[in-house]
Amino acid sequence: MFSFLKILARNLILGPSTDPFPHGETFTPEGLRGKIRFDASACVGCRMCEHVCAAGAIRIEETADKSGLEFVLWHNSCAFCGLCEHYCQTKAIRLTEDWHMAHRQEEKYGYVEKGVVGYVPCSRCGDPMVPVAPQLMKIAYRETNRDIEKLRDLCPDCRLKQSVGGR
Amino acid sequence: MSTYTIPVGPLHVALEEPMYFKVEVKGETVVGLDITAGHVHRGMEFLAMKRNFYQNITLTERLCSLCSNNHPCTYCMALESIAGIRIPERAEYLRVIADEIKRISSNLFNCSIMAHIIGFDSLFMHVMETREIMQDVKESIYGNRMDLGANCIGGVKYDLTAEQSQYLKAQMERMKKPLEEIYRLYTENPFVRMRTEGVGILPKEEAVRYGLVGPVARGSGIAYDVRKKSPYAAYDRLDFQVQTEQSGDVLARAMVRLREAQEAVGIILQCLEDMPQGPTWIGIMPEIPAGEAVAKSEAPRGELIYYLRTDGSDTPERLKWRVPTYMNWDALGVMMIGNKVSDIPLIINSIDPCISCTER
Repeated sequence: MFSFLKILARNLILGPSTDPFPHGETFTPEGLRGKIRFDASACVGCRMCEHVCAAGAIRIEETADKSGLEFVLWHNSCAFCGLCEHYCQTKAIRLTEDWHMAHRQEEKYGYVEKGVVGYVPCSRCGDPMVPVAPQLMKIAYRETNRDIEKLRDLCPDCRLKQSVGGR
Repeated sequence: MSTYTIPVGPLHVALEEPMYFKVEVKGETVVGLDITAGHVHRGMEFLAMKRNFYQNITLTERLCSLCSNNHPCTYCMALESIAGIRIPERAEYLRVIADEIKRISSNLFNCSIMAHIIGFDSLFMHVMETREIMQDVKESIYGNRMDLGANCIGGVKYDLTAEQSQYLKAQMERMKKPLEEIYRLYTENPFVRMRTEGVGILPKEEAVRYGLVGPVARGSGIAYDVRKKSPYAAYDRLDFQVQTEQSGDVLARAMVRLREAQEAVGIILQCLEDMPQGPTWIGIMPEIPAGEAVAKSEAPRGELIYYLRTDGSDTPERLKWRVPTYMNWDALGVMMIGNKVSDIPLIINSIDPCISCTER
């Protein structure tokens, strides 16, 4: 009995241990899995994020005018599991530390993360293709040189021809 | 004296989760018990067959919040056993760390609820405050306070940097003293003892007969622990004791849980010491062939078994799990008889019921 009175007295002296939020600062650790940020310049359209997303929150579809791929993530479905970030080779998807997610019901359908990966023409045949992100080049070739850089602007078919034919 | 039947639940203030009990009482003493489940059934076994292997990692994690790391971990173990993957050694240690962090939080949560039920709310708050250290650890290392998202097929998704290891070590050292203090309070405080000693007794023979697992079985003197009996991850390289108690009452189960939390602190510190450098996952997305596997692990509530059958496609053909709470429910029939009506919530809490596990 006495031992608990001691703890009570100690806790009284120390005061509340809860954060004073929203009247004061609260603790947000580095690496908190919050709102998702999409970087279109790093995306290579592999659709792995769409495949692993348990909630079906991510959709990647061709835009209506067929000018590129549109990435849409609906924050209301997202479970913040981080699988998309883990399996994204080029780190185009990142979970930010932003946990301020409250929004009005009327904003529900607009509360999304969007991005468009515009197609670029293949430098040889001119067919539209998803641009090859420098991040992917780094994973594939580690160091790039002029010959490898040339491959970057080629569509998969032309790239194959170039690599095999060497021209 | 005539007997009455009292309905308890499905929603009852002291239980906080939906489960329906038909309690037969004679005077103030419980003489019979009937349990009806299924109020929050979610059909997750069916759902798992509709999703691919990766999506199921997240789905299984949402099965239950308190043992949420064990579910994806065991699921990944089953997949890895089908695909013949051996995960990197560092990943094995990291899986143990995630497991034990969840174990400390889960066990402290149950013990604090016990204090709340017996009306000792300042003790409840004190234990919860101590548990808050663990919650902050989870948030800082994994990025979430409940669902760690630590596992992936072929290893773990997270790594500990030197600073994070230091931080984790410091927090574990910080847990030692309060855990000791709480254990002493639970075992010595006259109020706690008065309400919990000799209440809800489960004899060893009955525990064997019902096939009980986890702290409930260990509180009745059965030294069964998956971590020792069939070690997974890095448990075969770690030094720890299986905690048991002989008396089989509510207090014994709480004592087992608190001592396990203390053991877990030691396990995490050992892991931080022994953990080798290296990759944390296999780095590729493996092909999963057709096959079947059973994997099991020791969740905070006891042995968790996963059965997985695949057919070569990227969705499971069948995923079935047996959760620890499932058997423990039945034993309530033994524990309740002969106890007072006022002890019903206390005894129910002592099996650490997980309704979301039972009614997945």
